[in-house]
Amino acid sequence: MSAEARTAEPEIAALVRERLPDVPFEVSETKTYTDLRVAPEHLLALATGLRDDPELAFDLLRNVVALDMEEAGLEAKYHLYSFPHGHALQITVAAPIPGCELPTLTGLYPAANWHEREAAEMVGLVFTGHPDPRNLLLEEDLRIHPLRKAHPLQKPEILQGIEDGPPGVEV
Amino acid sequence: MAIWPEERVAAAAEGDLDTVDMTVNVGPQHPATHGVFRMVLTVDGELVVDCEPYIGYLHRGLEKLSENADYRQAMGWWDRTDYLAGMCCEGAYTMAVEKLAGIEVPDRAEYIRVIMMELSRINSHFMFLGAFGADVGSFGTSFVYAWRERERLYDLIEEVAGDRMFPTYFRVGGVTMDLPDNFESRCRWVLGSVRQGLEDLDGLLTGNEVFVERCRGLTPVTPEQAIAWGFTGPMLRATGVPWDIRKAEPYSVYPSLDFEIPVGLQGDVFDRFHVRLAECYQSARIIEQCLDEMPGGRVLAPKLPKTLRIDEGELYFPTEGTKGEYGVYLMAKGGTNAYRAKLRSPSFCNLSALRDLVVGSYVADAIIILGSLDIVLGEVDK
Repeated sequence: MSAEARTAEPEIAALVRERLPDVPFEVSETKTYTDLRVAPEHLLALATGLRDDPELAFDLLRNVVALDMEEAGLEAKYHLYSFPHGHALQITVAAPIPGCELPTLTGLYPAANWHEREAAEMVGLVFTGHPDPRNLLLEEDLRIHPLRKAHPLQKPEILQGIEDGPPGVEV
Repeated sequence: MAIWPEERVAAAAEGDLDTVDMTVNVGPQHPATHGVFRMVLTVDGELVVDCEPYIGYLHRGLEKLSENADYRQAMGWWDRTDYLAGMCCEGAYTMAVEKLAGIEVPDRAEYIRVIMMELSRINSHFMFLGAFGADVGSFGTSFVYAWRERERLYDLIEEVAGDRMFPTYFRVGGVTMDLPDNFESRCRWVLGSVRQGLEDLDGLLTGNEVFVERCRGLTPVTPEQAIAWGFTGPMLRATGVPWDIRKAEPYSVYPSLDFEIPVGLQGDVFDRFHVRLAECYQSARIIEQCLDEMPGGRVLAPKLPKTLRIDEGELYFPTEGTKGEYGVYLMAKGGTNAYRAKLRSPSFCNLSALRDLVVGSYVADAIIILGSLDIVLGEVDK
């Protein structure tokens, strides 16, 4: 591979830069799709452009991943697909550190509703403007975030026969 | 003395009687919800005016557990997401790990995997066809027709993998063991029986005027709506969009196989039923091609590391599950465990539009609409 080809941006990132010149983002490659890293304040502008621009036309929000990156704070990743053009990409947004607030994408993609509710309860992201910010998979009044790295995995506990222990096992 | 005052009788005759909305709780333990799923319907007479789905009763923390187990150990948890088609889930997870680690899989293993994944797909669709017939009102008949074939499919899967529902047959780098000696003839016999079973079900349900009348034209969905709601799989194809990840973003040996994508016309309940029925025939075609072209050789890649450590990297790997796009997101940070594992569950996304589909229909139709989504709660709740 020549030096030029290595430094050149992937096709889809170059296309996004050409069509949406006002939105700054960093480009990297994952094993499957190109990743665009964008600041939280530009997320809505980027997503709106990606959806509405006829050359891009990302009309399917397939997935939202919420991550706890420990010292780097919380992150959200969005996976988009375009039916008219058959291309796909990933957007990464790091949430601002104290508030962990990101704008909701439910206005653009109705499919984001449950994905964002899950992301909010699992790692503690806050999606401002979400129409229904209740817990989805966890109990409604539970305020824990199980997918944070600090949240411990529970050890197996013996619920029956604690005094004697199960046969063959020392307690 | 009249029980009803005169003016109320007159109002009822004119159809402007005041009624009170009633709340009906369906589930979580209810056969019509196909698992531990609860929906609270607000009904005005027979008409559904609001629907609030509640999920999470089967949440087992798949993602947390996968982050705390070895890449290979974690596979057992993924089996238990779409438990009607365990092999499809295993396939998605192992292929994602292989792609992340850069492990090559022998050709023979790829063909065996495709056979097992397509057998699981038929199995899952039979579950839908049988249970959906029962939802609409064929009582047990369609269910028993479907069960006859599912039993044969499960027997075949058991012969290969040693287990029926949760086989954990795939390995990172191939499959556990080679096929049994008489597999090809047994598989062809089962496929013949599957085709007969499909024809029986087709005759029983599509040939039944009551069934067709109840399903035809019920909640038609346009392609634009389906895409906005995040529908994939048969739910999207029923609206007429010929999108299948096996063709659009192919993986494994699917590019070398010849099959078609069945699509519907108007995205109504009948189309969803019919797309799944037609898909079973295509899956049978795929399996027969794989049997014809099956190469020899190893079934597990040589020189696999004893402990699988994956360098820093991430990927989102979509596959065509039985319910739609079954995607696996993995992030590796150099250790033996995934730093983050996330499942994009097709049932979860399809179910999220339930309220929009159900509101405005009759209570009896709400059950059919829920059935037509073909959800499996292990996958919705993770």
